[in-house]
Amino acid sequence: MASLDRTARSFLLSELVGGFLLTLKYMFKPKVTLNYPYEKGPLSPRFRGEHALRRYPNGEERCIACKLCEAICPAQAITIEAEPRDDGSRRTTRYDIDMTKCIYCGFCQEACPVDAIVEGPNFEFSTETREELMYNKSKLLANGDRWEGEIAANLRADAAYR
Amino acid sequence: MDAIITFLTTHWLGQAILILLQCLAVTVPLLVSVAYMTYVDRKVWASIQLRRGPNVVGPFGLLQPFADGLKLVLKETIVPSSANGVLFIIAPMLAFMTALVAWAVVPFDDGWVIADINVGILYLFAISSLGVYGIIIAGWASNSKYAFLGALRSAAQMVSYEVSIGFVLITVLLCTGSLNLSKVVLAQSGWFFNWFWLPLLPMFVIFFISALAETNRTPFDLPMSEAELVAGFHTEYSAMTFGLFFLGEYANMILLSALGSVLFLGGWMSPIPFAPFTWVPGVVWFALKIAFLLFIFSWTKGTLPRYRYDQLMRLGWKVFLPVSLGWVVLTAAVLQFGGWVPKP
Amino acid sequence: MPIVKIDGREIEVPAGITILQACEMAGVEIPRFCYHERLSIAGNCRMCLVEVKPGPPKPQASCAMPVADKQEIITKSEVVQKARRGVMEFLLINHPLDCPICDQGGECDLQDQAMGYGFDRSRYHENKRAVPDKELGPLVKTSMNRCIQCTRCVRFAAEVAGVEELGATGRGEGMEITTYVRHALTTELAGNLVDICPVGALTSKPYAYEARSWELRKTESIDVFDALGANIRVDARGGQVMRVLPRLNDDVNEEWLGDKSRHAIDGLRYQRLDRPYVRTKGKLVEATWDEAFAAITARLANVEGDKIAAIVGDQCDAESMLALKDLMTALGSPNIDCRQDGAKLEAGPRGSYLFNAGIRGIDQADAILLIGTNPRWESPVLNARLRKRYLSGRCAIASVGPAVDLTYPVERLGAGPATLRDLADGKLGFAEKLKAARNPLIIVGMGALARDDGAAVLALARSLAVVNDDWNGFAVLHTAAARVGGLDLGVVPGERGRDVAGILAGAQSKEIEVVYLLAADEFDTSKLGKAFVIYQGHHGDAGAHRADVILPGAAYAEKPGTYVNMEGRVQQGFRANFPPGDAREDWAILRALSERLGKTLPYDTLDQVRARLVAVNRTFAALEQQSPGAWGEFGTAGAMTDAPFVSPISNYYMTDPISRASKTMAECVASRQHLMAAE
Repeated sequence: MASLDRTARSFLLSELVGGFLLTLKYMFKPKVTLNYPYEKGPLSPRFRGEHALRRYPNGEERCIACKLCEAICPAQAITIEAEPRDDGSRRTTRYDIDMTKCIYCGFCQEACPVDAIVEGPNFEFSTETREELMYNKSKLLANGDRWEGEIAANLRADAAYR
Repeated sequence: MDAIITFLTTHWLGQAILILLQCLAVTVPLLVSVAYMTYVDRKVWASIQLRRGPNVVGPFGLLQPFADGLKLVLKETIVPSSANGVLFIIAPMLAFMTALVAWAVVPFDDGWVIADINVGILYLFAISSLGVYGIIIAGWASNSKYAFLGALRSAAQMVSYEVSIGFVLITVLLCTGSLNLSKVVLAQSGWFFNWFWLPLLPMFVIFFISALAETNRTPFDLPMSEAELVAGFHTEYSAMTFGLFFLGEYANMILLSALGSVLFLGGWMSPIPFAPFTWVPGVVWFALKIAFLLFIFSWTKGTLPRYRYDQLMRLGWKVFLPVSLGWVVLTAAVLQFGGWVPKP
Repeated sequence: MPIVKIDGREIEVPAGITILQACEMAGVEIPRFCYHERLSIAGNCRMCLVEVKPGPPKPQASCAMPVADKQEIITKSEVVQKARRGVMEFLLINHPLDCPICDQGGECDLQDQAMGYGFDRSRYHENKRAVPDKELGPLVKTSMNRCIQCTRCVRFAAEVAGVEELGATGRGEGMEITTYVRHALTTELAGNLVDICPVGALTSKPYAYEARSWELRKTESIDVFDALGANIRVDARGGQVMRVLPRLNDDVNEEWLGDKSRHAIDGLRYQRLDRPYVRTKGKLVEATWDEAFAAITARLANVEGDKIAAIVGDQCDAESMLALKDLMTALGSPNIDCRQDGAKLEAGPRGSYLFNAGIRGIDQADAILLIGTNPRWESPVLNARLRKRYLSGRCAIASVGPAVDLTYPVERLGAGPATLRDLADGKLGFAEKLKAARNPLIIVGMGALARDDGAAVLALARSLAVVNDDWNGFAVLHTAAARVGGLDLGVVPGERGRDVAGILAGAQSKEIEVVYLLAADEFDTSKLGKAFVIYQGHHGDAGAHRADVILPGAAYAEKPGTYVNMEGRVQQGFRANFPPGDAREDWAILRALSERLGKTLPYDTLDQVRARLVAVNRTFAALEQQSPGAWGEFGTAGAMTDAPFVSPISNYYMTDPISRASKTMAECVASRQHLMAAE
């Protein structure tokens, strides 16, 4: 009897029909995708996006050229050169990140003793050429100025867990 | 006005112009519907996967097909250095052309047909067999192992399933007593349950599945199974040469849907044979039926996984061939002994 | 000898050493800040605490406590660990948390030991003390907040450098390391302060913030700024030499290095010859190697061998000198000389031009006579060794020559040859001391030899020296790193050949048509007359300005090279980075030129060149070894003038093309002049 049942089901394509009905049902369910450029998902305060170099509220750049980020970077994407500034403080003359090498592991911001290099919430920085992804110090500082509000808020939100 | 009609119907040049106009009247809407078939395909698959599908280019993404088409037109056609250049270019043309010329015998409404020939079904059958050449030539001319294997698979698959399609056609032929497609439609007049899909339901199913195989659609899209063969026979094609294959494929899909409508779904007939349904032009009914079948094409692709090649061959030769053959014998017997043999 | 038990292991150690040294012999490492092998013991950092039984119940500073027989020393007990952690916490109370901006970061003793004994947060909530930074000159940068008062710098300045200019004032928290008078340190060994400072209080000023220790490519090399052949480590990053540090070698430089050797390296970035030049229409024009060689080939065609001459510079490696000598021999020229300053040294018995007693021999000398030399400028590290000998006592030191402050008392006998003659005749009191001494050391400088009567001075000095089986007290203090190697290779005029003076005279009388300068700049290039000058070297200095063809060579950090120091020790350095632009290794340039001249030199690789070195002189086979040279007759007795001996070095900081191109050295000169003006 069971074999007859199986044969009948097989000939009547019951599994196929079941599958088709399932997909038909799904067709009318609400969409789960975000309408990306117009809608965006929530980001964690720990989100590791585009890099930025921050400044102190008085406008002084935070980076002190300790080169710890350069040392820890597993992709060796960071290049730093330093020398004493006119006032004798230790500053970078060059701070480059090769964003095409970067793997966004966040070690640089973990290593930074002064919270200067951070990975901000921005993930929309695609460019038309590779060259534009070779970030230099002015680009990173500009990023910092642009995203300071969000970055500071994220750091505050995450401070309790550090 | 009369002079123009006279010119168009009697003078040889006029007749040529008329035929040209008729061809345009068929191909232009056909190509537009091919374009939108790609759009519908993507929307249907997206819906099944709870996605949105194309929605950026134009309202609801309606201009997406044109954007894609424009891209294909503007890109560079690359002919591989080791390819056979002439055949490489001819192959997509051949594939596209065979998909178009078949439309000559398809009746859109009563008398709306470019060539109302008596052997319409045979003609269709012959043309669709020619489509294999485009693919075989493309696979061979590419001089690439993926293209070659894809073409071999494709050819074998199309030949296998044409056999069962042939038997399906014979069944319908037995029931109508004519090879003329318009006559096939007329033989199904009446309510929608008078159409052949109900009495010949197994044949309709076999026809539809074979049509899937014939057009290399899921679950029978082995020729271009990307995991194994990159893109099958059109691996080496780019830009508009690829575009022609693509258009041909979709045109073929629409053709087989049209054929299915003609053979089993009463062609241009209204499903309910009285007003106000009969006021609706037959061509609209015909288009709706084609659209319904095409939707099932998309739905299938969104539902079923791909067959393995040996399963495909087994299904074709060991299931469909005996079943359709048996159904031919059965139909013939019922017609003969039931006394329903149609009079020519 | 006492037997002590260290962490449960018995070991026999020499009597009189400290517990810390005993532990080191047993392979047990004791953390320390103030203790330094070459300085006196201070015992003020308290980091080296260990438990000693029998003894007081509290942990003892191991650096300051001598070992005694049957002592038991425990270095790893809980008591010791707790004590060290406590010391570390006190040290860190006032140490700023500025490791990220500190140049010592990554190579800091305090940082390292804080990893072992530090606490991960501070319990000290009051303000840290602040100490004003001190000005110690252009080489040493201070950041006195970081100072932990180990007083290593004070002891180094007083004991090794011999300038008592650093000290501590105040007590307790008020204690500060400072200069008594506010001026730059007047020592040529200031750079070593940076090395001995265990924290970042004293860092290198020219190197400030330039690189991190972990980024540097470390290459072992040999110093060429004086003839001591100090062992150095060249730290490079990218294509630049960032700094030079001394390597430990007790036989040569201990662990010190002169300021010029350490800080002239920024001269490697400026004034470099990075492509060949050819003089056309009176101006030097950039050229390719091919064009430069073509110009030389064209000029040398039809020039007889004896009209070609070569002068070898003071910083050349043995390989390039050998290649040049072989090339000159192939061209048929006997005119080659490595004695730019005209020193009357011959390539005769090796003992005639070596510092035969060896640097280490200074420690055994019991009477030292300096003839025509200012070792403080000619080789500051050697001078520190002389001072060390003075400090250990019972050694009379006298000098015939310039009156200079050598950081230790020297009995100045006179200024010139006449005094030397008197000494030889036994007319001076010091003659008695020399006679009485077991190991008298006669140090002859270039100030006595590089003069017309140099050969006579040499003969006289020879007569003063005591030579027996276990002591050869005749010592030549060279100033040129290449000199001994050149003499070993016989880079001196051949038969009927001309020396430097002869070459210059010949050039002016047109008897010499072509002069090949191998990085030779230390002579009067205006005397080259109308000769065609080929300059092969690394800096655009005097020689290059006069040249008709310039072939860019490599400086010492940019080529693997063999050098022989003044005591005859053959040492090899490695390449730290590549020469700039089109410049190449010098022996390879000579090899390529020889091929163009149709006199192809018989070696293609560095190994083959070195094999040839050994074939020419077996000495080159024995690396890193020193022994007195063969003794024999040398010098020619004769009349001497009354002119006083003058040290060849009038300005310590600028003696060669590299240091003349160095901005740091220029700052040092300015600082020194400022100081002299103030006095």
